[in-house]
Amino acid sequence: MEIGEEKAGEALVIAPFGRVDSVSSGELERHVVGRLDAGARRVVIDLARVEYISSAGLRVLLIAAKRLKPPQGALALCGLGPSVRTVLELAGFMSLFAVEPGREQALARVGGASTT
Amino acid sequence: MSTGETRRLSVPATDEGIKAALDALEGLWAAQGVSRAVTWPVEVSLDEVLANVVRHGLAGRGDAAQVELELRLEPGDPPRCEVRIEDDGPEFDPLGAAVPDTSLGVEERPMGGLGIELVKRLMDEVQYERKAGRNHLRFARRLVPMEQ
Repeated sequence: MEIGEEKAGEALVIAPFGRVDSVSSGELERHVVGRLDAGARRVVIDLARVEYISSAGLRVLLIAAKRLKPPQGALALCGLGPSVRTVLELAGFMSLFAVEPGREQALARVGGASTT
Repeated sequence: MSTGETRRLSVPATDEGIKAALDALEGLWAAQGVSRAVTWPVEVSLDEVLANVVRHGLAGRGDAAQVELELRLEPGDPPRCEVRIEDDGPEFDPLGAAVPDTSLGVEERPMGGLGIELVKRLMDEVQYERKAGRNHLRFARRLVPMEQ
């Protein structure tokens, strides 16, 4: 699985690409957990380039949410297309996450994006 | 849409097998000219069911265990897709599993149990049968956009 990344000040954007299914989600989990272990505390997961997500991918989002609970951490999701949004809604996940339309709003939500 | 199409394949009970099955489904959409905007619920459902079979029912048997698949696309307006999945693992009716509580918060939310619930909510029909020592799961959906 291709995973894009962008640093914005103290914040980190992680952007998986393609299908987030039971096969590819293992790689996404290792990537996200690796960044959290390395100290990332303000994280945006940008799902704009995700075709669809299954429950294995939801599990990775839940792991990130559990480890980035405020006030020590901050997590926001952005770029939800219709398929990703529907699955999150059906799973009752929308209330568990800060969800923003775009990357800029999500970065503002987690804070720390300023480099000054 | 042309005349419809049925694809049968047998995949190993491994990650490679799941990937091959999802690729076959993508190939079916491409061959029949169906928009991915309406097919993703079928792909998510196939992933959920196969993940269950590979990681639980046939766990540890690897390449030696095979999952039989039938992917059918019926023409129409809208078209309809039906998927049949058959394996020789221990009897397991995923539809009989406990329904997860999707209203719990981050702390209380268990890590698993969501997959089959998603299949039930995404598909028009889901049916399980144990026949001749094999698990048969069938699900189908009319390929229309999900209601928001």
